[in-house]
Amino acid sequence: MMLTTKNLTKTVNSQEHDLTILSQVSLTINEQDTVAIVGASGSGKSTLLSLLAGLDVPTSGQVMLAGKPLHELNEDQRALVRAQYVGFVFQSFHLLPGLSALENVMLPIELKEQKNPEQQARQLLEQVGLLERLHHYPNQLSGGEQQRVAIARAFASEPKILFADEPTGNLDTANGEKIIDLIFELNQQLGTTLVLVTHDDRLASRCQRVVRLEAGELVDDTAQEKAVQEPHLESAAGHS
Amino acid sequence: MMSISHAKGSGTSGLAWRIFRRDWRSGEVKILFFALMIAVTAMVAIGVITDRIHRAMGEQSSEFLGADYTFSSPRPIEQSWVEQGRSNGIEITETLGFSTVLSKGDKFQLVNVRAISGKFPLKGELEIADKPFTSGMKIQGSPELGSVWVEPRVLSLLGAKVGDKVDFGISQLTIAGVIVSGPGQASEVFNVAPRVTLNKQDVEAANIIQPGSRVSYGLFIAGELEAREQYIAWLKERKNTTQRITGGKEGTPALQASIERAETFLRLASLVSVVLAGVAIAVAAGRFSRRHYDYAAIYRCLGMQIAQVHRLYFTQLSIIGLIGSALGVALGLAIQQIIIMQFADYLPKPMVPIDWVPVLVGALSGLVVLIGFALPAFFQIARVSPLRVLRKELVPQPLSSWLIYIFAIVAMALLMWWQSGDFKLVGILLGVALLAYGLIRLIAWLIFKLGVWLGKRASTPIRYGLGQLKRYPAFTISQITAFGLAFIIMLSTVLIRSELLDEWQNQLPEGAPNHFLVNVQPQEVELLENILAEQSVQTAGIYPMVRGRVVGVNDQTLQEALDERALTDGAVRRELNLTWMTDVPKANQVTQGEWWVGDALSQDETKTNQLSIDEKLAERLGLKIGDKLLFSIGGIEVAGEISNFRSIQWDSFQPNFFIIFQPGALDAQSATYITSFHLQQAQKPTLNTILQQMPTVTIIELDAIMAQVQTILEQVTRAIEFIMLFVLLAGIAVLYAVLQSNRDERVLSATLLKTLGAQTKFIRTSLVAELALLGLFSGILGAIGGEVLVSALYKNALKIEPVLHPWVWIIVPLIGVVFISLVGWWGLRGLLKQPAHQVLRQM
Ligand SMILES: Nc1ncnc2c1ncn2[C@@H]1O[C@H](COP(=O)(O)OP(=O)(O)O)[C@@H](O)[C@H]1O
Ligand SMILES: [Mg+2]
Repeated sequence: MMLTTKNLTKTVNSQEHDLTILSQVSLTINEQDTVAIVGASGSGKSTLLSLLAGLDVPTSGQVMLAGKPLHELNEDQRALVRAQYVGFVFQSFHLLPGLSALENVMLPIELKEQKNPEQQARQLLEQVGLLERLHHYPNQLSGGEQQRVAIARAFASEPKILFADEPTGNLDTANGEKIIDLIFELNQQLGTTLVLVTHDDRLASRCQRVVRLEAGELVDDTAQEKAVQEPHLESAAGHS
Repeated sequence: MMSISHAKGSGTSGLAWRIFRRDWRSGEVKILFFALMIAVTAMVAIGVITDRIHRAMGEQSSEFLGADYTFSSPRPIEQSWVEQGRSNGIEITETLGFSTVLSKGDKFQLVNVRAISGKFPLKGELEIADKPFTSGMKIQGSPELGSVWVEPRVLSLLGAKVGDKVDFGISQLTIAGVIVSGPGQASEVFNVAPRVTLNKQDVEAANIIQPGSRVSYGLFIAGELEAREQYIAWLKERKNTTQRITGGKEGTPALQASIERAETFLRLASLVSVVLAGVAIAVAAGRFSRRHYDYAAIYRCLGMQIAQVHRLYFTQLSIIGLIGSALGVALGLAIQQIIIMQFADYLPKPMVPIDWVPVLVGALSGLVVLIGFALPAFFQIARVSPLRVLRKELVPQPLSSWLIYIFAIVAMALLMWWQSGDFKLVGILLGVALLAYGLIRLIAWLIFKLGVWLGKRASTPIRYGLGQLKRYPAFTISQITAFGLAFIIMLSTVLIRSELLDEWQNQLPEGAPNHFLVNVQPQEVELLENILAEQSVQTAGIYPMVRGRVVGVNDQTLQEALDERALTDGAVRRELNLTWMTDVPKANQVTQGEWWVGDALSQDETKTNQLSIDEKLAERLGLKIGDKLLFSIGGIEVAGEISNFRSIQWDSFQPNFFIIFQPGALDAQSATYITSFHLQQAQKPTLNTILQQMPTVTIIELDAIMAQVQTILEQVTRAIEFIMLFVLLAGIAVLYAVLQSNRDERVLSATLLKTLGAQTKFIRTSLVAELALLGLFSGILGAIGGEVLVSALYKNALKIEPVLHPWVWIIVPLIGVVFISLVGWWGLRGLLKQPAHQVLRQM
């Protein structure tokens, strides 16, 4: 088991009364699962993701990630777990503007103190089709290219589990497709567990499992018979 | 595209360096960096300049004294003390001072003898001429055996000329020259007996000193700073209370107040640069940390430990600190050298070398400012929650604001003390800083009121500009604070500078008296008036003068009435110059009690004579209004009752008196008269006319010394002007830094307006309106704060009567409006021309 939660609840203080934004969520995700978290805007998807990844702590309930009880760990201990096991892709890319594409990808490798960070990073960037853009800075790249760097960075630390929050949310359809393809391609190649938040049905349909949230409650948890193994769309070569 | 070496970039410091290089190029660190550089440059430049000028002025005032220090003693000085100094490389000239009579034929004259052996003066020069009132040769040395140098009036009093022989004890001396100028003249104005200078060996030959003679033994001392200070300290430990040490500055009472004020001003100027630097750095660091919350959140998200993020940013701060300080030092040294060279003509040559202490202090101060003002903001960065990658609105829990303030205040106080060595000044400035904080609050409140009030009638763009200010009150207040502070500081510098210069101008105006006549007989007053009128020389008035000694207080003897300390006061041990006047003299002010009306003679016989006394003397002697003083004047006792205290401006170059009687209280027949007037070089022969017609008159020439005073004041004026310019530049840099650091927010809101379809013209007008309003508010703050600060400094540090400056109330807000809207607009102008999405991408 990669990830389990038990009665995960998050309450926030807002304007003098407590607001429960996530209520009693229990779920189990196995290694190499691909899970989509779907739901309306404001239903608590990002909140759930942040708890699963240890970016935040629950008000009550438990989260076990790779055997580590995240709910009992402090900030630095959770950071260590993230460095060891977790990769992220965000809606707004979140590259470090001070670092080149290559340096951005090298960063998690360096933090994990693995060997040959540069070589590994090059390889990954080659895989996402950005070999000619190694030394470009984020503001010199298009949105799609930035997200591809982010994907390379997310996989760079060879995470056991990858979290993605609306990875296509800021991209047009063609670029979105390309990003989805890359995520699944690398995912398969590296055997990563994948948890992604989306309200893109096509993206959700490619996952083995779809978890639906409504007003902070888990209302549906469907294993899809067979994830749609769509053929790769025609390469969007014009964008790279 | 530059390539970056990654090979050794695995630690956080490698990463920090890489990020720093990138950040530097993208201009984000620039403001922080430049703020620090400006700070260090200003501190080093001002520190080194003030130090060098200070020491140069010390040298110059040593010239007035004739040495770095003088030592005087009523008994012979232990020869071992002199040896101690000489063996440590100190130059020492031994002198003897006493009164005796010189005679030629049937004429006798009481003179003050200064007998010297060796080099004299040690600092500066003596000017010796062979005719009175002409210029002569400048020399350092003592008169040859058997010769004497005399003041011009000795010649007329004895009916002698240079080359004549005069009797001195049992031997004879040849008059070898006339002393035109030399050390110590300024402090000898009221010596009745003229000064003669001769060789010490002649004194023994003349057998003139008898047991019981009053002789003063003196040392003139000069040497390298460190060695001589050590020696002086050594002497101070050994000397008894009758022995006195006089330092360089004390040799020139007339200059002392001016030099002290100049030093205070220069110290203030360097403090000011510290304050400005602090503001700039705090602003820039705040911006830096705000911009780095996002990145820190990503680092944390990727698994970096909090300590690692701290290390990353502290490394960056250190890089900025080291490089910024180093460049600041280099630039500061270059600038001070340029300044020093600029007015090399006015400074003594060779110019004193750079002392490295102020350089080091400047560099370290930069680091202290950086740490004190930037560390709290930098510390915040690592405290950001990694959740910020999902929720942009999350900012770190603010540090307790007290912590930030205490950090900054401690850093500031440390620096101020370091720069000024003056606790009082630091106290005043910190006090005013707190006061300013209160004022800022008040004005922030005013902004809201005004905004609401104006918003009702103003046009849309102005309403929008006001709305912007109202929307982020904390942001608005912090900007007004920073701008206002810069204005306060710049304004105070300008005001204090012009006040100081005015003061000096008043003190030494064109045509200030540069000659004194003493010892004019009552029957000669009319004659003198005629001679002066003939040459159209204007006097500051001809005052009567009577020599008298205080012998009793309130019907008691001095021994009974005064305490031990008061009894040693010079004023009760020697004869004082007494006078009478109808009105309060110029350059004097009654501080307590009332000035009299009318003469003593016209009043009731039974009433005691009124008198006025110097307030400082009264304090030293413990006298009160209404106390009675008994004087002995030429053997006759005269009583007087203290009716008022006066403050006296001793450096005014006017005749000044400790004690002034009501007219009629003193016997006019026993008085001599005193006057002062201004003579130009061409009018100097007038002095010959005066001496021919009234040979007993004493002429004291101060023109040479006053020209020197003028030169020094000119030098100081220039230094002040330049340093003020520097402070202004630093202030402008701070204004610019603040505008720059808020540029992002302005660009963002303008771009949003644009995407909402606003016209460029509308955006421009509203932006300018916002900036202009900021300028207005901070200008008002600047005017209020500047006036308060200046008044406090006048009163406490500079001892000048505070005044208000109404013009400031209009000019400063106006400058605020113009400068801030122009510079602010100039920084934004380019960006507004670009398409909105491009702007947003650059953010
Ligand atoms: N710290 C917080 N304070 C107040 N409300 C919050 C906080 N965090 C999340 N919320 C609210 O909880 C709800 C769920 O948010 P989120 O998890 O971001 O939803 P989703 O990602 O599904 O759109 C939203 O209504 C959001 O406004
Ligand atoms: Mg969300």
